[in-house]
Amino acid sequence: MATCKECKSYFPLEENPDKGDCVRRVVDPRQEYYQSKPVNASDDAVKCASFAKK
Amino acid sequence: MAQAALKDTSVEEFETRQQWWWAAEKKRSGRLDYLRKAIWKKGAIGGLYAPGVKVDLERAQLQTRKARELEFSNDAYVIKFARMIAHILDNKTIFITDHAQLAGYTASLPHTIGWDPSCASILNVEVYNDPTAIPEPADESQKIIQEVNAYWGGKTDLDRMMPVFDMEDLMKMLSGSIGWGVPLARGGYSSKDYEYIMTGKRAFQDIIDELDRKIDEGDEMTHAPGATPETTDMYDKLNNWEAMKITLEAGIRIARRYARLARIIAENFEEDPVRREELLKIAETCERVPAHPPRNLQESFQYDIFIQMMSRTEAIEGAWPSRPDFYHGPYYDKDVNIDHTLTKEEALDLVGEFLIRAAEVCQFKPKWTREGLQGIDGTWVWTIGGVDAHGNDACNDLTIALMQAARLVRVANPTLSFRWHPKVKDEVLREIFECNRQGLGYPNMRNDPVLIANTMHWYGHPIEEARLWANQACLSPCPTTKHGYQPMRMANATANCAKIIEYVLTGGYDKVVNMQVGAETGDVTRFKNFEEFFDAWTMQMKTIFSILVRAVNRARTLAPRLTPRPFLSGISERSIESGMDTFEPSLERGNAWITAFTWVENIDSLAAVKKLVFEEKKYTMAQLKEALDANWEGFEQMRLDFVRNAPKWGNDDDYVDDIMIRCLREAAKFSRELKCPSGNSWPILPENVSGNIHYANIVGALPNGRRLGDALYDGGISPGPGLDKKGPTAVLKSCSKIDHITDGRAFLLNQRLSPTQLAGEKGYQLWKAYIRTWADLGIDHIQFNMIDDATLRAAQKEPEQYQEVIVRVAGYSAHFVDISRKTQDNIIQRTIHGLG
Ligand code: SF4
Repeated sequence: MATCKECKSYFPLEENPDKGDCVRRVVDPRQEYYQSKPVNASDDAVKCASFAKK
Repeated sequence: MAQAALKDTSVEEFETRQQWWWAAEKKRSGRLDYLRKAIWKKGAIGGLYAPGVKVDLERAQLQTRKARELEFSNDAYVIKFARMIAHILDNKTIFITDHAQLAGYTASLPHTIGWDPSCASILNVEVYNDPTAIPEPADESQKIIQEVNAYWGGKTDLDRMMPVFDMEDLMKMLSGSIGWGVPLARGGYSSKDYEYIMTGKRAFQDIIDELDRKIDEGDEMTHAPGATPETTDMYDKLNNWEAMKITLEAGIRIARRYARLARIIAENFEEDPVRREELLKIAETCERVPAHPPRNLQESFQYDIFIQMMSRTEAIEGAWPSRPDFYHGPYYDKDVNIDHTLTKEEALDLVGEFLIRAAEVCQFKPKWTREGLQGIDGTWVWTIGGVDAHGNDACNDLTIALMQAARLVRVANPTLSFRWHPKVKDEVLREIFECNRQGLGYPNMRNDPVLIANTMHWYGHPIEEARLWANQACLSPCPTTKHGYQPMRMANATANCAKIIEYVLTGGYDKVVNMQVGAETGDVTRFKNFEEFFDAWTMQMKTIFSILVRAVNRARTLAPRLTPRPFLSGISERSIESGMDTFEPSLERGNAWITAFTWVENIDSLAAVKKLVFEEKKYTMAQLKEALDANWEGFEQMRLDFVRNAPKWGNDDDYVDDIMIRCLREAAKFSRELKCPSGNSWPILPENVSGNIHYANIVGALPNGRRLGDALYDGGISPGPGLDKKGPTAVLKSCSKIDHITDGRAFLLNQRLSPTQLAGEKGYQLWKAYIRTWADLGIDHIQFNMIDDATLRAAQKEPEQYQEVIVRVAGYSAHFVDISRKTQDNIIQRTIHGLG
């Protein structure tokens, strides 16, 4: 099972690599930005349409 | 405008054509241009959110999940609530926009609107039924909303408050006929203790250290031998301090999340070395604030944004009390004038972005609120200018930079409100004039000496604190001090005053909502003289005000226990010191007021009745009542008589002006009988936001000739549109008969001036002389629209060409294309005055 840990967007926390941020680039109709959301390294990536293997 | 045409036309040409918005687009920096165009417009248009703007479901889910988890915890409610806030801040999605130097937003993504599901089930139902703002796929979103709503049903603030209100009062308020909003402490206008938190003396970590000391002392006290009432109180205080600490720590953590995001972008994605440096600066900034006091302008703005973001995570704030030049000005001075770490242009970019960050803030609000606030999310009326605690001119370079930046980014929200005083320098006045001449409709002018005296008169704030006032909402000054600031003013203390005169005619029965709302003052046709008629008016006024005030007082008294605000308490000296929630009424002096929507209709109607019915006896009261019952249909000649041949407010005519004064003084007298939970008065504040349009179908026919459905007057003490026939000085003279210190809290005055007449140096001198007259007459407020009819009519025909035209609506500005046709027409109908 693929997990967030294996994903290019996953950035682990230094103090606890089991947790990290999913950082992605977003282009919406008005602006471009980077978004970040806390995730766990072990989170299931199977259903994530944005998963991209490291 | 097509890009080619924009490129080929010079700034000067645009300015000559008074197309200020195109000129601004060409003048502003590439960064500001990008960021300005990147804003998702959140103000509702016709009560509906704009296409693409969606409700943020993430926060609602995070809060609900945490609430479920905590349901069976033994913690006090205030601690549970603080944990919910912390959970949201720790887990929400955050973002940093390209080119931005500042970060932080209330909801999760730029196009989303924050939704707090814990405030009111009636709001949650509106989210579920919203026709435009539910994110795709709609089925999935509806399911989420349903689950969230099912959890919060019976548990929201309002649900928990309902049983403690007087049901009859509540039903009258919720009928929507006399008030606006609900009595909720976590929904309204929240002033802040900026003297404690924004003066660079302390920041979150310092407060946390202080809280630790308090908690240790309290803990020791509760375990020492002995038991007194103080020991019992201490348990509540310990809970409050703990809750404050939880939210402040979460505030530091979310800032560090922004710092980390900025570093990740800089180190992994960004190729442009200049932008990389900017991102590292953002990271450094967010590592510094809000944990520690700011050291420079960027940190100071960022600190403010974080405070606002956290405050808006904790409550639905419909206003943005602020004094940006006063609190951020020293950092501007340090960076630009002393250390030279920023050029003026770089500083202007930061100031412009600060305005933009505020412009994009939005929280989901019920439709009635959106209709009353057309084109904006809330009244972000930022106060600038004025004096310091010692009475010295407080204007600084940032006062000027804010106005220059406002002309470049041309946002309708925030708007600026200028505290005029006799020591204001000419260079500052010129900037104010320029903003107004360029059609922003702001800054409005506030008469500082009058308002300081007014603030002391009504609430007894000492002069040093009264001088430190900022608008709590559109117009009401509130000191930003320990005991002066009011943590929440609830929007439902807003009276639809046209109902006062309507109920005199109907004996208090509201025919629009079909219920007895007002006092039973009897059959109006039996009144023998104007005095009896006026007595009935007084009774209706007292009845309506009392219904609204009773509910607010009740909600405010119970708020510390039922709907606390640990974060706002955590940035308030009085709560840190006392261990009590910021809503605790005994901690503040009180700064309550009743917003008086649709006030002047009373005056013109009373004058018409006095003259045409009781004095000239041209019509009987029975005839008038029949005409009003028929909504003037079949009585057009008579209606025109009431419009044209009765004196109208705003023409320096003592006949009607005396009635205005009499009504205001009756209200002022009663304001002192009404008491807020802090034991202070409830003065009235005539102004309208967009209430004149919202109430058009709610207020019945009136003796001033108005029919059900017609727009009401644009508000405050502004004369009816087109009814001020004697010129601008006559308007000022009428307004000056009011004592702006003792007759009420503040009085909104709209004026339209001709942009052509005000061109050039001559125009400035004319305007300056007019302002001097206004100030000398002791009037507390004035604001201007300086866009001509031709431009506004062209904007109605080709809205896509005039997207950026801004107008002054009432206590706020809005983009002309974002307000309803009725409001647009109402603004065009206002008389354009020539000066001189
Ligand atoms: S949530 Fe999706 S995109 Fe983000 S880290 Fe996990 S798998 Fe990757």
